[in-house]
Amino acid sequence: MANRRCIQTLTHQLYKSKLYTNPSSSLHHLRTLSQIPNLPLKPLQSHLQYVLSNPNFNYPLTNFTTHRHYSSDSHNNSDESEEDDSEFDENEDDDDEMEMRSSGKKEYSPEEKESEAADIGYKVIGQLERSDRVFKDYEPVFAVIQIGSHQFKVSNGDCIYTEKLKFCEVNDKIILNKVLMLGSKTQTMIGRPVLPEAAVHTVVEEHALDAKVIIFKKKRRKNYRRTKGHRQELTKLRITDIQGIEKPEMPAPTKKVEKTAVAA
Amino acid sequence: MSQRGVWQLQKLIVSYCNWGGSSRGVRAFMESELPSFKEANPQLEVVTELNRGQHPYLKGLYKNKNERVVSVMNMTPEEVQLCATRLRNSLGRKVVKLKTRHVTKHPSVQGTWTTSTQI
Repeated sequence: MANRRCIQTLTHQLYKSKLYTNPSSSLHHLRTLSQIPNLPLKPLQSHLQYVLSNPNFNYPLTNFTTHRHYSSDSHNNSDESEEDDSEFDENEDDDDEMEMRSSGKKEYSPEEKESEAADIGYKVIGQLERSDRVFKDYEPVFAVIQIGSHQFKVSNGDCIYTEKLKFCEVNDKIILNKVLMLGSKTQTMIGRPVLPEAAVHTVVEEHALDAKVIIFKKKRRKNYRRTKGHRQELTKLRITDIQGIEKPEMPAPTKKVEKTAVAA
Repeated sequence: MSQRGVWQLQKLIVSYCNWGGSSRGVRAFMESELPSFKEANPQLEVVTELNRGQHPYLKGLYKNKNERVVSVMNMTPEEVQLCATRLRNSLGRKVVKLKTRHVTKHPSVQGTWTTSTQI
C-alpha cells in the first residue's frame, strides 16, 4: 500500500507539474517512476510508455483523473482493479428518476411514463369534466373489466371501488381498455382474452381511505403481542358508458334471451 | 370528490393558534400552500379561524351535512396539505368498512341465473 501511495503522490506531482512547469522536469519524474523496482506498475506501464515516447505533452487533460480514497468510501471488490485504470468522470445523474429517492416519491416527469403506468392498471386518462352530459340512464349492457388484478362485471351507472389509481385526480374521465367480455340482452361478445375495440368510460368520483382495520398478532404464553392499524387507499369510479357493442334502442320489457357467442 | 360532477366538500375551516407550537405547521401551510390550494379549488369555501390555546384542526363540511374533523397537531406543512387534499377528495360518507366493492342497482342484464336457466 505504501508503494501504491508513493506512486499516487508521484503521479499527483506529475500531473500538477505537467500543467505548470516545463517538460524537462516532468520527463525526469516519469523516468524515476519507471525505474522504481518491485512495483505493480503493469496497468500504468503502458500509459507511462506512451507518455515517455510521446514528445508533445499536450495531453488531453481529462485523461488523468486521480482518485482520492476516503475512509467513508463504499468498498466494492471491483475497486482494486478500477483505481488505476479509470479515466472517466462518473456522471450518473438521470435527473428525471433519481431526484426524490430520499423522500420515496418518484417523479414521473415524462408523460409517457404516466401512460405506461396507466397501461399496467389498464386505464387511460381523459380530460377533466366541464358540463359534459356524461351521466346517462341505465342501458341493459354489461362489460367485464379488469383493473390491476381485479375483475368486475359492470354496467352503466355502477360504482366500483378499486385500489388507488395513481395518476388521476377527482373528476377525471378515465377509459378502461382491458375489457374481457361484453354483453347485452341479445348479444354476448367474449374476448380472447381481451376485446380489442371495446372501451368503458368512467369518471373518478373520489379518492378516499377505507375504514381502519386493526392487525393484531399474538402468540400465547410467549409474551408477544403486536397491534397495527391499516387504512387502504381506494378510488371510486362511476361507470358512464360502455362502447363496443350494439345497444338495444327500445328498453323493451320482453325477456326472451337469445345468446349468440361471437368470438372477437 | 364529486358525485356525478358535483363537488361534495362545501367548506373547509382551518383552525389554528398563533402562539402554540403545535400550530407551527399549520401556520406555515397557511402562508405557503393555502393560497394555491384555494385557487385550485374555486368551488370550495376556505375559512381560517384563530383559536388561541387550542390545538389546530381542519374541519370539512360536506353536502350531506356531515362534518369531518382532522387534527393537524404537530404536522409539517406538507402533511397538512395532504390532509386537506384528502378531505377534498372524499365524499362525506361515514367511514365504515365496505360491504362490496361493486355498487349497482341493476345486477343482471341477461337475467339472473337459476338452476333452470337454459343456454
